[in-house]
Parts: sequence; C-alpha cells; structure tokens
Amino acid sequence: MRNTIAQRRSELSMTQEKLADLVGVARQTIIALEQNKYNPSLLLAHAVVKALQKKRIEDIFTFED
Amino acid sequence: MIGNPKWFSRRKYTGWGFTPKTWQGWVYIAVIMLPIAIVASVNPEGTWTSVFLIIWALVFAVDFIHIMVGMRKDERERIHEAIAERNALWAILAVLIFALAYQTASGIAAHALTPTFDPFILAAIIAAVIAKAATNIYLDRKN
Repeated sequence: MRNTIAQRRSELSMTQEKLADLVGVARQTIIALEQNKYNPSLLLAHAVVKALQKKRIEDIFTFED
Repeated sequence: MIGNPKWFSRRKYTGWGFTPKTWQGWVYIAVIMLPIAIVASVNPEGTWTSVFLIIWALVFAVDFIHIMVGMRKDERERIHEAIAERNALWAILAVLIFALAYQTASGIAAHALTPTFDPFILAAIIAAVIAKAATNIYLDRKN
C-alpha cells in the first residue's frame, strides 16, 4: 500500500509531530507510514485521512497488488 | 500516583521496564533513590531502615506498574513489542529446554533412579504454556 501523507501534510503545512498528535500515534509511526514501511489498520488509516482533511481512504492511500 | 507515564519511554534495547525521557523522569528517579541512599548511609543496620525501605519499595513498585500500564503505545509499537517479546520468550525457552535436557542427561549418565532436573525449570515451561493458552482463549473470545 502506498500513500500521499507527506505530500498532503506539506500542502497543509503540518508537521509530523502535529499529525502524530492528531491521530494518537508516535512520530516514528508517521515516518514509517510516509516511507511506506508500515501498513496501517483501517482505523488508523481512517484517522490519518480525517486529520489530513480528506474524506475517503483512497484519497490518501493507494492499494497495490 | 506519583509518576507520570509521559515522563518515560519503554525500554527497548536494554531489557524491560522504562527509562526517563524528560527532566521530570530524572527527578522522579532521584526522588526514589535519594531517600534510600540517605537512610541506608545514616543507619544501615537499623530495623526502621528496613521497614522504611520495604514500604518505600512497595509504594514505588505500585507506581512503576501504574507507569508501565499508562505508557502510550500505538498499533505499530504494539506489533513491534509483541514480536520482540515473542522472540525473547523463544530465547528463554531454548535455554530452559537445553537446561532440562542437560540435567536429565547428566542424571542418566550418573545412573540416578529419580529425575535430577530442577523442577523450577519444568514449572517455568508449564507456566508459559498455561499463560499462552489463557491469552489465546481470552483473545479468541474478545475478537
């Protein structure tokens, strides 16, 4: 699964620390997500999408086979 | 409770427990250690010293548990911790099983009539099996 968290965060001028606080995870988890090293649960993916002011999970996350 | 879980981070590379990550955490450690050092140096043999040290240790043992339980972990950190703890358990089991086999073999070599292994080693393995089964039963019912 790939994502555009870093790009969207940059558009919103949001730091990794701020996003981590908003979704209730450690900053290291945001770093792992941005580097596509960690696939989040649906719950976390939804929280990230909401924090990045998007509506659908597909707006941020792209599923790949 | 005295300590705040936010003052500490989970010990990942040097065993179990927690380590201070803020100055408040270091003050907390100093608050625990200082009275122990003072009392132990002023009257190391006294009865009241022993009573104080036991009560002090109990209070902070409860507080340590509170800190460990309250320490925030997100889903990725939980997965990492679960895998690390599982690997640690495998290492412990490997050593225990080796010890059990070694002690039993030594007993056989010495022509002992009764098993000569340490029963605590067997008890530790059985306790681990029970803990694993209980955890799986609980988790299967929960989700």
